[in-house]
Amino acid sequence: MTLNLSDLSKTHGQFKFGPFDLRVEDGVLAVLGPSGSGKTTLLSLIAGITEPDSGSICLNGRELVGHPLENRDVGMVFQEGALFPHMTARENIAYAATTAARVGELAATLEIEDILDRSPPVLSGGEYQRVALARTLATDPAVLLLDEPLSSLDTPIRRRLRDELHSLFESLDIPILYVTHDQRTATALGDRIAIVRDGMLEQVGDSSTVVEQPATEFVARFTGNENLFEGSVIEHSEQGVTVRVGNVELQTATSNIGQSDITVCIHPSRVEIKPSRAPDDEQIINTITGTVIRWLNEGSEYQIEMATSWGSPALTASVHPPVFERLTIDTGTELQIMIPPSSIHLMPNRG
Amino acid sequence: MATQSESSLSETRIAGFGWLSVTLLFGGVLLVYYIVPVGSLFLSVPPTEVLGRMNSPIIVDAAKTSVLSASISTLIATIFGLPLAYWLARADGAAQTAVLGIVVLPLVLPPVVGGIVLLTVFGSGSPLGEAAIAAGFPLTRSLAGVILAQTFVASPFLVVTAKVAFERVDQTLEYASRSLGKSRWHTARRVTIPLAVPGIVAGVTLTFARAIGEFGATMMLAYYPRTMPVQIWVSFIELGLENAYPVAILLVGIAGVTLLVINIIASNPWE
Repeated sequence: MTLNLSDLSKTHGQFKFGPFDLRVEDGVLAVLGPSGSGKTTLLSLIAGITEPDSGSICLNGRELVGHPLENRDVGMVFQEGALFPHMTARENIAYAATTAARVGELAATLEIEDILDRSPPVLSGGEYQRVALARTLATDPAVLLLDEPLSSLDTPIRRRLRDELHSLFESLDIPILYVTHDQRTATALGDRIAIVRDGMLEQVGDSSTVVEQPATEFVARFTGNENLFEGSVIEHSEQGVTVRVGNVELQTATSNIGQSDITVCIHPSRVEIKPSRAPDDEQIINTITGTVIRWLNEGSEYQIEMATSWGSPALTASVHPPVFERLTIDTGTELQIMIPPSSIHLMPNRG
Repeated sequence: MATQSESSLSETRIAGFGWLSVTLLFGGVLLVYYIVPVGSLFLSVPPTEVLGRMNSPIIVDAAKTSVLSASISTLIATIFGLPLAYWLARADGAAQTAVLGIVVLPLVLPPVVGGIVLLTVFGSGSPLGEAAIAAGFPLTRSLAGVILAQTFVASPFLVVTAKVAFERVDQTLEYASRSLGKSRWHTARRVTIPLAVPGIVAGVTLTFARAIGEFGATMMLAYYPRTMPVQIWVSFIELGLENAYPVAILLVGIAGVTLLVINIIASNPWE
């Protein structure tokens, strides 16, 4: 199955969406962007809730624009689930399913057999979204759209359901667009990530490429990368480009960049830290000294902000708790910072 | 010595009591003004006398005419009004505002003026009225005339109340239904209308109550056959106030039942 959007545009009051081009194959495309960026508009256009001003939406060569939403074969899970409140969970699924056996099958898959006779208002957030997903899957859609289905759930339930969705999505051989504003959810669920900003596609690619090699500063910041530094190219060599940031020279693995003024981007997870005065550090390239300004425990990892010899802004490293505890880090701790050349991403400086 | 927080608390209590006193005083006067005349009506004539007069053929005929005509006009208002109410609930922009203005027009028009307006279209001197008389189906001084007058005056209640009921149905539910492959009609039948039913029932009940109590436009368009409000007027003019009481009490009873229906099986549109 292939969903192909080309030159899609829609103006809604002051908001202009597109022109937007996107190709979605089987698998999960996480659509990531801030509030008001056009993520929901994108889904509304594909589902047929809104008609575009221009452009085309093709599903396996079949044009969808102009067809009412009931004839598009596009399933959608809405942000708040949109279960029919006057029907039980079973009746909601049966509303879409062709047979009672299909209802039972989906209930087993989504582990909701025990709650089938309950009304939507008494379901928990997680149960509610499971029923909504079962109802949508009951039609065996050719494309599945999910509009932030986990956003209103508590963190433990969200994590559990996210893991379950990951397994479920792997069993579906259809294009899936999963809209979210949460980078963790996007990277956890998406085979690919599309970053949307102000109604435009900023970047699309596999998760690691988008996170570690952002196309723009916006993508870098939105995917949790605050390590953006202005620098300049000082040398091209066979090993790669050497750049200067402040008074520090960094060797990169980038073979070529056509501009001398650049933005150096280093994902926090790729910044390696060691205690200062480690005996073997002198030989490692891109090693600098840093002093911890502050640190933040974010549960699964620690964010450590360090002042470095290249001046402001500070460099951030993210490390797992065992590393943080081993290094006995606190404010003022001096550390050796190593940045592998392959972890340095260069972007043209747009001023 | 009172602390600052205690002092401000007592000021709040005094202010709260004062506010409540004002609302109770002014609102209470209005409530008394509603209740006393209705209670007075029931106390004016002994119940046995009222029941005795209700057996009068004239009153029975008026009651039959009123119930039949109000039922038909409510049915007409429902059939034609629900689609319009749905459109008004889902549309926006200048067209919606204009159409809503037209719907509300009979509500703000004095009923007698409404009757005159209808006479220009359905009266015996109008082309339509003449054609109807020629076809043996007069639109004035007939049950049809009563229904036309009641529908004109009462149907906006159905449209406006049902519009609010449809607006309360989350449109996302309709999108969800249609994205599951269901047509607009299927969606309306299985999702929208069931969820809007309490509000629709309220609209139907209000429309019936307004239709059965309609007097001004009905007087102008169809003095005969007499409805209950017209009979009250005739009894009052010809025989005096006391003879108008039985039908008036009957109409008050219908109004009471209407309120009960709205509060028990329907959703109160003013809540």
